[in-house]
Amino acid sequence: MLEIKNLHASVEGGREILNGVSLKVKAGEVHAIMGPNGSGKSTLAGILAGRDGYDIASGAVTYDGQDLLTMPPEERARAGIFLAFQYPVEIPGVNNMYFLRVALNAIRRAKSEPELDAGQFLKSVRAKLKLLEIEDDLLQRGVNVGFSGGEKKRNEIFQMAMLEPRLAILDETDSGLDIDALRIVANGINRLRAPDRAIVMITHYQRLLDYVVPDFVHVLSEGRIVRSGDRSLAGELEKTGYAGVGS
Amino acid sequence: MAAIKAEAVPYRDAFRANPAEPAWLVDARAKSLAAFGERGFPSRRDEAWRFTSTRPLAENFFVPVRRDLAVTANEDTDFGKLGFEGPAYRLVFANGIVRALPSKLPPGLWLGSMSQAISERPEAAEFAISEIDLGGTQPFASLNAALFADGFVFDLDEGVALDRPIEIVHLGKSALPTSIYLRNSVRIGAGSEATVIETYVGQGAYWDNVVTNIAVAEGASLTHIKLQDESREAVHFASARISLGWSARYRNFGLTLGANLSRNDIQVLLGKGAHANIAGAYLQRGDQDTTNAVVIDHAEPDATTQELFKGVLDERSHGAFLGTIRVREGAQKTDAKQTSRALLLSDRASVNIKPELAIFADDVKCTHGAAVGDLDKDALFYLRARGIGVDEARRMLIEAFLLETIDTIESPEVREHLARQVRRWLAAEKA
Repeated sequence: MLEIKNLHASVEGGREILNGVSLKVKAGEVHAIMGPNGSGKSTLAGILAGRDGYDIASGAVTYDGQDLLTMPPEERARAGIFLAFQYPVEIPGVNNMYFLRVALNAIRRAKSEPELDAGQFLKSVRAKLKLLEIEDDLLQRGVNVGFSGGEKKRNEIFQMAMLEPRLAILDETDSGLDIDALRIVANGINRLRAPDRAIVMITHYQRLLDYVVPDFVHVLSEGRIVRSGDRSLAGELEKTGYAGVGS
Repeated sequence: MAAIKAEAVPYRDAFRANPAEPAWLVDARAKSLAAFGERGFPSRRDEAWRFTSTRPLAENFFVPVRRDLAVTANEDTDFGKLGFEGPAYRLVFANGIVRALPSKLPPGLWLGSMSQAISERPEAAEFAISEIDLGGTQPFASLNAALFADGFVFDLDEGVALDRPIEIVHLGKSALPTSIYLRNSVRIGAGSEATVIETYVGQGAYWDNVVTNIAVAEGASLTHIKLQDESREAVHFASARISLGWSARYRNFGLTLGANLSRNDIQVLLGKGAHANIAGAYLQRGDQDTTNAVVIDHAEPDATTQELFKGVLDERSHGAFLGTIRVREGAQKTDAKQTSRALLLSDRASVNIKPELAIFADDVKCTHGAAVGDLDKDALFYLRARGIGVDEARRMLIEAFLLETIDTIESPEVREHLARQVRRWLAAEKA
């Protein structure tokens, strides 16, 4: 589904951050990319979702055989890619429900599925709100406006549940969550595991991986994947720290 | 005879005194015309007009429309979409002359045309003309006083809460440069509540010159909405002078979409404990140019003012906001806040924002803030990352930015009416 080949990239005009990343993700798989601060985790997530401000020096990223890097962000989303933001953006004045309905219908149109009317949409929303234990009234506010840190992260996974992506990239979704919120978010993610859906979790800590057990774990260090393994690698990292791995 | 400015000559020559009018009005017109003649058009050398070009007016003589030449327009086909959908007491004007009056009015409400009021309700007509019109410091208002043929008069007795808004629709239609003068009067009795919605639309190259005097008596509340969507060849200048009695509340919201050149002058004089909420949104593209000039005068203690203006300027358009807040000696406990923001959507669009505080009392809270920028890039990416196309995402953000200005309008119908006009503008093809 996703193939990253020898990707070299830098922040526009800055130093190189990704230094030859290669990764293959197949449908149904859950991958964890772990690494210390500054290892390039968020840069990788940003490049995959189509954020501005990066220079790609060399390498390639394909999604279902298509060149991903030339696609604008909205086309990536319509093709089934979803980024759960590390820092979800507050957008005052844009109602959460309205935003989500516009997004969902844009994606449905791209898939040649009929748009949902307000009633159908609301029904779908109600079912998924429960899954993430989100209060109705949060949805009547501006996008992420007045949400606590934990509510923002839950809202990201709620959006994922609504938009039903084929490839979800979760950027530090566990950061800033207390243990109860972590459990709710993890439960939400587990419920979204599916044979036709791949999930890439980017995280600094292994604690999310206690709840969402990955099929593969990769260690990103200084802009390249230095080790890959199964879930036991996460446990090893917990003991030795990043310093003991790879280099 | 005093010297007269060249640009004033054709307007003076077009003036015809009407001996059938009451003496006070004949006299006021003569004085106002003389004041305008001496003063001429304001120029960029005048501080208040630094950012407003009057060149389109200087290049052409806009022939004052005459009552017997006033055209009628077909409001249903030309302007139907702009009207307020809800029930309203509706007056329609075409080229400055009343064309339709509401048939049934509730007790306590006098609503009619200025031409009618001059004979039937002279004190309301007299109220519509101020000393300032005779003086010439506002030359276009003086010109208006000399030449106006009609306007609307809205008097509400004490203690009446109107069940529906007063809607004033003005249609301008002219193939040749024509000037149209409206002189309006609004007086809200003590403890009463009302909403006025003014809508200006049209076709062709006319110049609307509108002057409105408003008094809101003690404890009364007036919501005053204005939608300006004039012809793209038109000039629209409007001046509103508002005085607020003890604990009176006044809200003004102006949505500026149309005209080639437009300007709103709003002056508010606040009595003790009064509250003014003055807001506006302006959306301009092509070579449109608009100015909002607001002067808030805190004359007495305990009064509050909130001002919020937001602009979206695309292509080569220009916007200006001039906001003066004056706090007179003795106007203690004044609380005034002014905010002005603009989004520039093109490299060639520009805006001037000029706040001015003049405070002569020591126990007051006055703040002002201004910001000019582009859309929030992170927000834009967030929307696009959810599958929303870049054009739609931009529209959503612009709409959100603008609609903050109508957030506090109480009536959901009025809010929706205005939001619809904003969406219509955003959806329209570029000029």
